[in-house]
Amino acid sequence: MRYCFYIGTCLLLIIVQTTVLSYSNAIGGIYDLLIPFVIFLSICLPVRECLPFILVLGFIVDNLSGSPFGLYLTFYFWLFVSMRWIIKYLRAGNKLFLSLIVVVAVLIENILVMGTFAFFGPIGELPAEAVENIALQIFWALVTGPLFLLSLLAIAKRFNIQLNGAGAAPKT
Amino acid sequence: MFSKKMVLIVGGVVLITVNVILLSVTSKSQSTSGFGRVGLSFVAPFQELVTRSVRFAREIWEHYFFLVSVYQENEELKKSLNDAIEKNNQWNELKLANDRLRNLLSFQKSLTNRVVAAEVIGKDPSVWFKTVIIDKGKADGLQKGLPVVLPQGIAGQAIEASDRYSKVMLIIDRNSAVDALVQRSRARGIIKGASADQCRFEFVLRKNDVQIGDTVVTSGFDGVYPKGLRIGHVSDLSERSSDIFYEITVTPFVDFEKLEEVLVILRPETEASASEP
Repeated sequence: MRYCFYIGTCLLLIIVQTTVLSYSNAIGGIYDLLIPFVIFLSICLPVRECLPFILVLGFIVDNLSGSPFGLYLTFYFWLFVSMRWIIKYLRAGNKLFLSLIVVVAVLIENILVMGTFAFFGPIGELPAEAVENIALQIFWALVTGPLFLLSLLAIAKRFNIQLNGAGAAPKT
Repeated sequence: MFSKKMVLIVGGVVLITVNVILLSVTSKSQSTSGFGRVGLSFVAPFQELVTRSVRFAREIWEHYFFLVSVYQENEELKKSLNDAIEKNNQWNELKLANDRLRNLLSFQKSLTNRVVAAEVIGKDPSVWFKTVIIDKGKADGLQKGLPVVLPQGIAGQAIEASDRYSKVMLIIDRNSAVDALVQRSRARGIIKGASADQCRFEFVLRKNDVQIGDTVVTSGFDGVYPKGLRIGHVSDLSERSSDIFYEITVTPFVDFEKLEEVLVILRPETEASASEP
């Protein structure tokens, strides 16, 4: 049941991001909606279940995107590793932590993309609209990211999926 | 002297006579008597009250209770109107699609190679990269490196092809590069993706004649795009004193925000392999 939920949510997010949101000019540059989902998976699932799932997710997004192959795979993997490390020291269910972590992750993903442009891109410089795009993404991440993540956690709680992947109850 | 019966008869006759005389007198006069005014003043307020009450009740009935049926009729009319609007919208969409496809078809006839029409079904999940997914793939003869065009100009090139779908990198992507010429002066350079709706035209020597508004076309030297396809127009031009090249911004003719259908130009050998069973 929970795997159906994970796969269904993952597909839904990818489809929404590449169709509905891409054509919506009103929203502008929305952030990567899979970031809260990867954070959620990193918190909820045990490593042996979560890691293959995240690698497959990164692989799919790399396939759909025009980014250098492996960019999303790399980012999701390191996001997963960071999350597993962080939740050893911080309470995974803390709302402040969840609010900040999405914004920080969005910022890091953008820095990674900018680094790719700067060091590996054919032009070797950052896009002119970089600051505007990143600011817009952080704004949306700040507004919707925590809500999105908390909704996922609430659904997980309903399905009795526990945080930390090791049976620790959510401490909200 | 007179019997009681006689008195009653005479009294009755007198009363009738007086009555008839009074009637004849009052029927000739239009003026109201004081009694009439008193009666009017006394009764009229009640008449008014009753009449207004009845009218009020009738108005309530007509404007509220009776309107239930009008409301239902209104709902039905609204539904009919919505249906008509929806049909009109569908008709408009069909008309626009028809126009676009006719446009593509007439453009297709102008190309020497065979082309495959495809529909854009998805865009890049990242705002930083400009690729689209189209609904045609290897099964339709597509392969990596094929040019994707529109009647307005070139759109990009296929960078990946699966059996039924392909990924197309648009010319506004930062990884895109197209060998190009200024149509008027034949000045040569490379068109590179720069931002959401603009490209850079690099390596154009300053000794060449380039002006704002010039049309830029494909040169055909990159081995991807056929020669002479429109790309865009020069929208900005500057010269740095230390540089031997112009700094040129080109605005593509294709509106990438509204990309819906595209044409993929097949190579002759691709066409041959596609026709194999």
